[in-house]
Amino acid sequence: MDSDRNPREVTPAKLSLVDNALSGVKLDPHLAVPRVHTPPAMFGAGGPMLKQFDQSNAASRVGSQAATPPRSVVGIGNKVAKPDYSEAKIVVAMVGLPARGKSYLSNKLMRYLKWLEYDVKVFNVGQLRRSRARQKAQESGKHEDHTASYFSHDNVEATRLRDQLATDSLDMLIQWLRDGGNVGIHDATNSTRSRRAKIEERVAQEKGFVTIFLESVCDDPALIAANVALKVSSGDPDYKDMSREEAKADFLRRIKQYEAVYETITEPHLSYLRIINVGNQVTVCRIHGYLQSRIAFYLMNLHLKPRSIFFSRHGESQYNVEGKIGGDSPLSERGQKYATALPALITDNIGDAPLTVWTSTLQRTILTAQHLPYNKLTWKSLDELDAGVCDGMTYEEIEHAYPDDFAHRDEDKFNYRYRGGESYRDVVVRLEPVIMELERQENILIIGHQAILRCLYAYFHNLPQADLPYIKIPLHTVIKLTPKAYGCDEERYTLPIGAVDTHRPKPGSSPQLQLSGTGREYYGEKA
Amino acid sequence: MVAPLYTTASGLLFHAGKILIVTVGLPARGKTHISRALERYLRWTGVKTQVVSLGDYRRKTLGGAQKLPPDYFTLGEKSPETIALRQKVMDGCEQIIWDFFNSGGQVVIYDANNGTRERRQTLAEKFDKAGIHIVMLESSCDNNDIIMGNIRSVKISSPDYRGWDQEKAVTDYYNRIRDHEIHYQAVEETTWPFVRVINVGEKIMVNNIQGYLQSRIVFFLMNIHNQYRTIYFARSGHSLIEHSYKADSDLDPAGWEYADRLKEFVLDRRAKSLKARGMENEDRRLVIWTSARRRSHHTAWPFLQQKDGPRVKVVEKPQMGEINPGVWDGMTPDQVRKFYPDEWERFVKDPYAYRAPRAESYHDLCVRLEPTLIELEREKEDLLIIGHASVIRCILAYLIGLPASEIPAIEVARGDLIEVVPTSYGVHSQAYHFWDGPGRSNGGSGKDEHNFYENYAEDTQGKRRPEVAEVVQAAET
Repeated sequence: MDSDRNPREVTPAKLSLVDNALSGVKLDPHLAVPRVHTPPAMFGAGGPMLKQFDQSNAASRVGSQAATPPRSVVGIGNKVAKPDYSEAKIVVAMVGLPARGKSYLSNKLMRYLKWLEYDVKVFNVGQLRRSRARQKAQESGKHEDHTASYFSHDNVEATRLRDQLATDSLDMLIQWLRDGGNVGIHDATNSTRSRRAKIEERVAQEKGFVTIFLESVCDDPALIAANVALKVSSGDPDYKDMSREEAKADFLRRIKQYEAVYETITEPHLSYLRIINVGNQVTVCRIHGYLQSRIAFYLMNLHLKPRSIFFSRHGESQYNVEGKIGGDSPLSERGQKYATALPALITDNIGDAPLTVWTSTLQRTILTAQHLPYNKLTWKSLDELDAGVCDGMTYEEIEHAYPDDFAHRDEDKFNYRYRGGESYRDVVVRLEPVIMELERQENILIIGHQAILRCLYAYFHNLPQADLPYIKIPLHTVIKLTPKAYGCDEERYTLPIGAVDTHRPKPGSSPQLQLSGTGREYYGEKA
Repeated sequence: MVAPLYTTASGLLFHAGKILIVTVGLPARGKTHISRALERYLRWTGVKTQVVSLGDYRRKTLGGAQKLPPDYFTLGEKSPETIALRQKVMDGCEQIIWDFFNSGGQVVIYDANNGTRERRQTLAEKFDKAGIHIVMLESSCDNNDIIMGNIRSVKISSPDYRGWDQEKAVTDYYNRIRDHEIHYQAVEETTWPFVRVINVGEKIMVNNIQGYLQSRIVFFLMNIHNQYRTIYFARSGHSLIEHSYKADSDLDPAGWEYADRLKEFVLDRRAKSLKARGMENEDRRLVIWTSARRRSHHTAWPFLQQKDGPRVKVVEKPQMGEINPGVWDGMTPDQVRKFYPDEWERFVKDPYAYRAPRAESYHDLCVRLEPTLIELEREKEDLLIIGHASVIRCILAYLIGLPASEIPAIEVARGDLIEVVPTSYGVHSQAYHFWDGPGRSNGGSGKDEHNFYENYAEDTQGKRRPEVAEVVQAAET
């Protein structure tokens, strides 16, 4: 067929360009290193082929037979919209006595689902109670009594008030779901059958809404004691004017009041998940649907053993020095120094405790881990974000070849998918099983890549997607995260070995990342 | 995440050690269905797994039920001969389990009733002493419809009832299992880790499950179901440049035409098969999964354009992109042989496990697809997967139960619609040839002589091809 008449036809003549280019490459028989770039990537954004190809079939899109054909990818990539999650409308109603880790589970679940881009909010009845009481106290000067007697079922007036709070909080949750939320977590004791029946009945009035009850049972005295200690020592306003001893006694009395009426879930028709001693025993009942089963599996994998997670990027690589992205280059001289110094830093920090090292399959991470005296595992899923057609180029080269596309990526980096490569969202999807495994494990050191560690770090610190691609993860620095009840403690150790800075701030702005604290919120969000 | 990254010196995976899964349950509670599904899943992930079925062993060594002494299944006093016979069968089965573990096997699923606490304890202690992890897997039912359905569909076709009158067989079998109920003890002891599955997944109880592999097993069991549905597979249409992964090129004109034809053919096939089962087309939704690659997503485009017809939902899944050819992107096999002779040789020797520079091996691809597979198990609607040859190969291998080494050789020709219907003991699969054009010619071998640059991994050639029904298109003849 005549290629001039039909520009969208890919002909042998056109493709012979590729052959000619390939045959022009001379092989060096003495070359000892892997021939990573012999021959050059034919459809890389640095070569002429991609532009020629896009131009040659631009006409085919205009003349396509399909009704309103969707756009092709041209240039070096495009923005990809967030998947449609609007069908997901789930009420997760917590069930459990005080100090059984309900808020802990709510908070973990929220972080996990937010990281996967679901819109999640915790509606904590305790927060609502405190903030309403505070408001009342500010307006009228009257302080409500919120000591244990308030939580007694014999206290008719207080019981009515507490019922009202639970109802109001559920109504707020449902309104929020109607306005576009995906998962609303009702963090309250919901300890009786009648309360649960009310929740179920209320949610069933909303079309397409689903309820799951999540019961946290704990009969390990040590675990309960730790939760009680955390409660009375963490500045709970309920105990603001009490000594620790008084607070503890009052809190234990409050638990007693609940125990008197507590009914574990036995209603056979309910959709529920019961977790005993955080993951030791789990019952899953009538959990249907995709997101519900993910939630159940996630919660099954949690544990409370103290541990730390260490992140380090690979030592400075030769591509880092040259300013190139992607590739599979070995370490620079300074990178090798880092690899040599790393074992002492880790061992000083962790002592005799067991540790497992995870690397990607790329040699710069494997080389960085080579001297570490621990068990090492390689994950394909930890490979760096695939820059597709831009792999192996410098940012300057990309900007020079595709100035408009380059600017588009800066506008919305999280959603931008490199052609023939990945977006940050794609990486999050790929890392989800890694997060699941990380939750199951104890001490782990990940020798990873910039984009990968940004995604993992955002999970542990609950950072929004828009900020994620700008998180600073410098070279030659170890980040130590220690999970706490409501967040992670962080320490950073920078080794005095120089390295290039590969961080590119968002042009025209300098976002200050707000790390979420590890403390508990007692009043909910600031208005 | 299922990966051989956990391979230990002993050849076992995931540092999980050896595991004996002891099934517990009265007859006709779906133990065999669960055992076989789990075996297929674990084998696909590379774990050496074997179901050892007491019933099969008994039939093999002693013959069908009519050849057994009359007190073999009844309760109460048994003659010494029968007791010895039963002991012999159990010992024989246990020997098979030991043999499998000793020859490098990792997981055994012991498919038997194990209905008393005492029996379970004896069995568990024996294997626990040898350092083998024990997991009790109970399947119970309090819904008589499920039990009777199971008896009718599975049990009376067993060799025990060859030549029996159907109703007689049902009655006999029902009596056999009713007797068992009196002595049955559900798994309530927490001595050993357990998973209790009630009414085929309606409720699942889990006790003290440890480690990665065991948690995967639980997640898998949480997601399987036995409702009727059909899974269709088709390749994406022909694109402007087939041979480049990076270019992510769009459909060419033949590809757009293919997309229209695929839509018509799928809807027609599905309407017919639903009608044959007495189901209404409107009752069920057709879910379509595509990858995030243009050629795949755009092949689903005509489904999105239809104004009426069955309800359709199209989901784009980034995990379902084709195998990444790494540095070989854009090259023909000849060029790869020329520039990467050593790597090519290793690839040809073991195309499943070998990972070319910067590329994915088929094993890497299976690992990437594993979460999708769990979603596929969970899906209850009819599903059409419009994908790439490499991806369809991996998923088909799982559904059909092919060994990993055969995955790269499965033929997935463009222009075939592959229809897979899961059943209790496996799947029915059938391919329908509905289209010819670029990317498919030469009598359906899939090789297109005009396409110089087909990606080696997306090549459609293969040794194993589902049985193909030729569908003559009226318009063509």
